[in-house]
Amino acid sequence: MTRWQRSVPVYGVPVFTRGFWGLAALIAIGLVLTAYREVVGLGVTVSGMSDPFAWGLWKTFNVMVLTGLGSGGFAVGIAAWIFNNKKLHSVMRVALLTSALAYWTGLIMLGVDVGRPWNFYWVIMPWQWNVNSPLLEIAVCMSLYASVPLLLENLPPLFEYVIYEFPKWRGLAETCEKLMKKVYPFIIGLAYVLPMMHQSSLGALMVLGGSRVNTLWQTPCLPLIYVWAAAFLGYNCVTLCLLLAKLAWKRDLDPVVMAELNKITVYLIYAWTAFRFADILLRGKILHIFTDGYFSILFWVETVLILGSAYVLSTEKGKKLSTMFNAHLLCAVGGMIYRFSPTTLAFSAKANSFYFPAMAEIIVCLAFVGVAGLGYLVAVKKLAILPGTNADWMKMAQYEEKVKPGIQLTGYAPVEH
Amino acid sequence: MALTRREALKNLAKGTLPVLAAGCVSAALPQFAHAEEERLEANPKYRKTDPANALGLLYDATRCVGCKSCMVACSQYNELKPDTRQDGIHQAPPALNYYTKNIIKLWRSEDGSDHSYFKQQCMHCIDPGCMNACMFGGLRKDEETGVVWWYGAKCVGCRYCEIACPFHVPAFQWDGFNPKIVKCELCRTPMQKDPTKKQPGCTKVCPTNAVIYGKRPDLLKEAKKRIAENPGKYYQSKVYGEHDAGGTQVLYLSRVPFDKIGLPDVGEDSIPSGLKYSHIAYKWLALPIALYVGMVAFAGKNFSEHSHHLVEDQKETGLRAQL
Amino acid sequence: MAKDAIAQESIAQSLKNAGYSRRDFLQLCTTLVATAPMGLALTEKATPAEVAKAVGKAKKPSVVWLHFQDCTGCSETLLRTSKPDLADLIINLISLDYHETLMVACGQQAEDALNSAVKENAGKFVLVVEGSIPRKDQGVFMKLGGKPAIDVLKDIGSKAAAIIAIGSCASWGGVPSADPNPTDAVGVDSIITNKPIVNIPGCPPNPYTLLGVVLEFAVMGKLPACDDLKRPKFAYDRVIHDHCPRRAHFDAGRFAETFGSPSHRQGWCLFKLGCKGPVTHAGCSTRHFNEIPDCWPIGNGSPCFGCTEKSIAFRVPLFDRVDAHGFTATPPDTYAPINSSMGKFGAGAALLVGLAGGAIGGASWAASQKLASSEETIAEEATKNAGGK
Repeated sequence: MTRWQRSVPVYGVPVFTRGFWGLAALIAIGLVLTAYREVVGLGVTVSGMSDPFAWGLWKTFNVMVLTGLGSGGFAVGIAAWIFNNKKLHSVMRVALLTSALAYWTGLIMLGVDVGRPWNFYWVIMPWQWNVNSPLLEIAVCMSLYASVPLLLENLPPLFEYVIYEFPKWRGLAETCEKLMKKVYPFIIGLAYVLPMMHQSSLGALMVLGGSRVNTLWQTPCLPLIYVWAAAFLGYNCVTLCLLLAKLAWKRDLDPVVMAELNKITVYLIYAWTAFRFADILLRGKILHIFTDGYFSILFWVETVLILGSAYVLSTEKGKKLSTMFNAHLLCAVGGMIYRFSPTTLAFSAKANSFYFPAMAEIIVCLAFVGVAGLGYLVAVKKLAILPGTNADWMKMAQYEEKVKPGIQLTGYAPVEH
Repeated sequence: MALTRREALKNLAKGTLPVLAAGCVSAALPQFAHAEEERLEANPKYRKTDPANALGLLYDATRCVGCKSCMVACSQYNELKPDTRQDGIHQAPPALNYYTKNIIKLWRSEDGSDHSYFKQQCMHCIDPGCMNACMFGGLRKDEETGVVWWYGAKCVGCRYCEIACPFHVPAFQWDGFNPKIVKCELCRTPMQKDPTKKQPGCTKVCPTNAVIYGKRPDLLKEAKKRIAENPGKYYQSKVYGEHDAGGTQVLYLSRVPFDKIGLPDVGEDSIPSGLKYSHIAYKWLALPIALYVGMVAFAGKNFSEHSHHLVEDQKETGLRAQL
Repeated sequence: MAKDAIAQESIAQSLKNAGYSRRDFLQLCTTLVATAPMGLALTEKATPAEVAKAVGKAKKPSVVWLHFQDCTGCSETLLRTSKPDLADLIINLISLDYHETLMVACGQQAEDALNSAVKENAGKFVLVVEGSIPRKDQGVFMKLGGKPAIDVLKDIGSKAAAIIAIGSCASWGGVPSADPNPTDAVGVDSIITNKPIVNIPGCPPNPYTLLGVVLEFAVMGKLPACDDLKRPKFAYDRVIHDHCPRRAHFDAGRFAETFGSPSHRQGWCLFKLGCKGPVTHAGCSTRHFNEIPDCWPIGNGSPCFGCTEKSIAFRVPLFDRVDAHGFTATPPDTYAPINSSMGKFGAGAALLVGLAGGAIGGASWAASQKLASSEETIAEEATKNAGGK
């Protein structure tokens, strides 16, 4: 059995730390700039976008790259619930939280990026949909996913919080929990199919880019490679969160679970890399990996970062925590570069034109990432998200009972099944 | 308990089988053979227009003298402000933009010995990438004339059309609170407003008839006639737009190579045809539904097993089970 | 008195009495509008009929015209018209109370006319000065009725409502001021400093410029907006080059090589022959002379010599080339390139990206160092646990 048996909140650490205020300041600046963008539009004072590069940092990074990073919810979930990998149950909540934050901030960012957001209401009328459009699939699917299954999956920690902290609402919370248990398989079925659909559609988006996306990235199989990259990015993100939790709040690690996460990550990456090379080979473009100048370098940067990290993780050295951290980090960077390339780095929109984000654009982008970060920091301290042992829970209960007299965190009678 | 290889493979097989089955079924459906046509017929708004009736332009770069009357006429017909942002005095847009639906560009050879003008505006593709990209039908083809026009009430301002267009045509209004997508619509609105206008502004004022207006088959015939009457004059004796990008309603004749004057080599497949595999995967939503059913089945089984464990753990430890 | 009656007459009345048809008057007003479509309150956004109405109601302004070191070319330019006879028309639009070339009187009669005109209209008349004023040796080089010009100007100028310096000589010294300027010839504004002065440089200037200024004063009661050299903006804010009919040739690089050459006969740009158009503020490109289209230096195939500009005319040799991009509004590249460049690389943004990347990189490095120091691995734990459940 794994050492980690349940989720335990981070206790004894104040919420309003320097990190909190730093992020809050960044977010405040970002919100002011967002308001400014709403008034003046998307022109040169706000962003570096222009007609050849109609998509800037916000769509391609905050949405396409970061939701890839936030794919832990479905990637770890499929392993845990479909393939019945019991070891991963304890890290599901972290995965779900990172997914929720990445998606929610990404969708708000999308609302800021589009020029005529008041027309988005057509999304709820299927007879107005242009079913040929990959972007429609993303709009419908991502909105549905973020507002239904992802939300519902993230509610259990909130229910528990209510049950422990607000006895008045306990009855309601317990009923909700019971209801959720009844329909849980239906929720998570949706929670795995929908992301597979829209993460692959994110790849399909750039298929319409035609020959403007460099041939090393442009393929009819782009959707498949894209969703697969989201999968291993999700694992990277979850592992990094766990390692950082150990650093920041001295949480104990469960080596069995960490080894399992590493193993799955490695297999996903090997399969991904093999598929990518096979795709390039079968399209007859294998020579381009050496002869395409800047694009070849970009390709090799991605490949080395991703494949190299996977290799390191599969060796003995990969068992060292610092190596593990570096490997997952570099792999995440490589994966993010891969998802960023077809839209920006490997996208030759038009001769003589290039894109570099403007200052306001960068600040708003970072501010929304900051929102996700802030949400994460507050959530792990208030709710039971990060994994721990039963002993950790007892220690936490002792601490909390001193601080909040009357709270009952242990000694619950078994529930009827 | 660690997942053994045997178990993993068993689970994988159990999971993949229904998926494969669904894929085979949807692939075998007879309609698959006509997926492309169906896609286009599915919604009348997006139906590709019968090319036999479609209206378009024929621009012969060898006849153009670069007078730019067409730019002025376009601004007037469409009530656009001239783009004087370069120096505040002269109308000199550097490219198609929010003020400019039609532009004359000049190509000069490196040594300055050769040059050609190029009139750039929307190509009005028969199967447009921009229309395919637009989520709610903000860009649509007129059913009679095939003109690709922008319908603001459905436009979200996502700019996917700009990404999808290989000719770099749709222009977004980058400044301002209520941005539009601006591109040539073959003077659809001016001609609707004023029935005495029988042709677009550009073709009306062109002093050399370098650009002419008419039904696509007629224009194609005229273009081919010119090629036949002037062998060797036109580059590769080719009419650009006959088959390019699946065929466009705006046709070009040129003496210099097309890619030099800004018409890229996009092949003969229409832009949306790149998504044909994705459309197979989503046909009738069979694959996603099959996946969902499979997932619910597995998740249900594993979840009840998990709940059982949770109850036992809670009995042991007295700590409330976490869902 | 008869003279008073004349001075009080409205312009419309005066024209009617002289037997001018309304048609002729409207034709004049049309020319006026064409001369100054912008920059002159009288004609800005007005139709010729509107201008005629405004001008018709105004009282004929009293004008005293003094000549100093001049060639009378500026007066001549006023007379060089064909139909209608502008000289007569002008005489009926304004009350020209003193003009040595045009008036009938001479000798003592002329002196008396000047003195009485100045006395009766003191503070109300417009003084037009033609010709430069010599200052050397107490101004003996030009005398009017025995008095040095400089004193005459000071005397009469002090009583005028406004002074118009017509021609380059009166504006800044003109031909007499060319090196070595032996008489120390200067323009009016070097002598008079306490009166509103309008300079209308040119050798000669266009007559309608003068008419515009005078009528503006008569009808609207004020002088038109001027630049810092006191030149009316409606006529002098652009350079010849900006509106030159041969500009297309300049832009395309087609130049006349020598006088009489085929390129010269083609009517190509005269820049290489020393045309000062790019640096000369004047309206001659669009307002030609003698009411004949293309009757102006460049139109006749002769390069502009910059007659309005103090630093150019009579200083820079006729056929010396000037800097083509002096003051001119050069249009951007006449045609858009096939692929115009787009996108800018903001230094601030680059710095921000660098900072953000550096911060994340630094933090990650610190984190991995801290993890390394704990020297933990998951190896031993995994083997331990593998033996368990």
